[in-house]
Amino acid sequence: MLTVDGLGVRAGDLELVREVSFGIGPGERVGLIGESGSGKSLTALALMGLLPDGVTASGTARLGGRDLVGVPERRLKDLRGRTVSMVFQEPMTALNPLMRVGAQVAEVMTLHGVAAGRARERAAELLGRVRLPDPERIARSYPHQLSGGQRQRVMLAIALANEPDLLICDEPTTALDVTVQKQMLELIAEVAPALLFITHDLAVVASLCERVLVMYGGRVVESGPLREVFKHPRHRYTEGLLAASRLPPRGTRLATIPGSVPAAGRFPGGCVFRDRCAHATETCETAPELTAPELTAPDLTGPEPRGDGHAFACWHPRR
Amino acid sequence: MPSPAGTPDADPVRASAGAPAADRAGGPAGEPLIEVRDLTRVYRRPRTSLTRPGEAVHALKGVSLTVHRGERFGIVGESGSGKSTLLRLLCALDRPTSGSVTFAGREVAGLPERSLRFLRRSLQIVFQDPMSSLDPRMRVRDLVAEPLVALGEPVGDRVAELLDAVGLPASAAERYPHQFSGGQRQRIAIARALAPRPEVLVADEPVSALDVSVRGQILNLLADLADELGLTLVFVSHDLAVVRHLCETVAVVHDGLIVETGPVDDVWEAPGHPYTRALLAAVPTLEGML
Repeated sequence: MLTVDGLGVRAGDLELVREVSFGIGPGERVGLIGESGSGKSLTALALMGLLPDGVTASGTARLGGRDLVGVPERRLKDLRGRTVSMVFQEPMTALNPLMRVGAQVAEVMTLHGVAAGRARERAAELLGRVRLPDPERIARSYPHQLSGGQRQRVMLAIALANEPDLLICDEPTTALDVTVQKQMLELIAEVAPALLFITHDLAVVASLCERVLVMYGGRVVESGPLREVFKHPRHRYTEGLLAASRLPPRGTRLATIPGSVPAAGRFPGGCVFRDRCAHATETCETAPELTAPELTAPDLTGPEPRGDGHAFACWHPRR
Repeated sequence: MPSPAGTPDADPVRASAGAPAADRAGGPAGEPLIEVRDLTRVYRRPRTSLTRPGEAVHALKGVSLTVHRGERFGIVGESGSGKSTLLRLLCALDRPTSGSVTFAGREVAGLPERSLRFLRRSLQIVFQDPMSSLDPRMRVRDLVAEPLVALGEPVGDRVAELLDAVGLPASAAERYPHQFSGGQRQRIAIARALAPRPEVLVADEPVSALDVSVRGQILNLLADLADELGLTLVFVSHDLAVVRHLCETVAVVHDGLIVETGPVDDVWEAPGHPYTRALLAAVPTLEGML
């Protein structure tokens, strides 16, 4: 349904995202993981046509037969919020503080041609659908009168208003308490038509997604079915992330990845991870290609070239 | 903020008693260093009517706990639980409505700032967001030396010594906070906190803003420093799993009360309070999911 092929993002001479290719089928939930600065959010913004000025996208992304990259804003406006919509991390800054919540949900429908009265009715329905208590009262509230979790539900209601084909969530639960996060994740799993879920939290992605893409230095370094990737990671970066996510008993050392994510443009040539990798050799000065996906189950032979199998870009993969 | 729907409410009988921290017995050997007794704090909302005072918010409703010397004490709670209020009172950054906080036997609650020099020297804080807790216009050298200067102590080679202790190169001293990554900035904040050789290091969500690979580096650093320097650690977090990795004792704060406290492994294995159980069930873990 969504097919992304060779997506790149640049700011002038600086290459920020390179050769990102993946697909999402109807009803599928795909996680996009990596640390801050790895290019996850830029990938999502490129799909939404929301890249900041001076930052441009190349490659192709097609959703239900329509192009998302390289088309004029006039065409994108029609798709954004209708065919594909997004929930952002910080619900306080994403909502208009001067507008009642119900009006903000209705607005996204009137912008796409729904009559005002009908949009108002549906706004209350949607607020109920994201399980906000007393939707009529919430619709009359301003964002500051709601808690963080409630605001994020409003964002979700806005994103779902026009029944999009694809929902993109960028760290939607990072600012929330764990008990609220759990409810929000369950809700997203229930209502999302097809999902691209961006997070740095591996446990969150494991609780929600079926397939996962691991990004580092603007590239997809590993991708595949979630269980397969998390149980048998091949790329050394994925291995490091998984090890660092496990909290061993007290008194034992936590596994870490040495150093930190370089600033954009400071990643080494060749394999982007080689300056933090214990297994790096001279070979790694040449950039490794993403391997052809290994099919892990016999029934996973779809038309997608990099769809269902486990692929990685590493010269010295684990095992 | 109202508690999220579906969260079991605190059991008032068990919770309101303000039971002392050593509920579950078997505390560590050191003598009590910080003792909190029946602490309450009531805030007033701004008034909305001329004739009535603003609504009262009971942020803390009678909290008691004991932190022993050399102990690693975790405080776990969600936003609105009162854990930040508790922390501010522990550090004498705010005055309680009633109750007492003693540090090494000396009353701290309600003292004027000029009488708190001993506490400012002995207890230092690392905040959650190293971007907003470090003055962007000061060089790292001055940031790290500032607590010493404020206490009128000689700086000498202490800055280089501290940078080395937190794993930063000596050349970092001449640079500004924005030139460092999040994890490095948190190292600077830790170096700064350690400058006056405190006995107690209070860390308020020090790894929440960090990436997972860097989180491990900072947690390892805190554990090493606590061992080497014999620090008492008060570690505030929303994540019981992180607290379990680092701390021996935990207090779970909910709705202005400590609902459960004791050795962290006991609380983890057999949570006694419905809120602790809800909290544990809500934390996604890799092991649980795969």
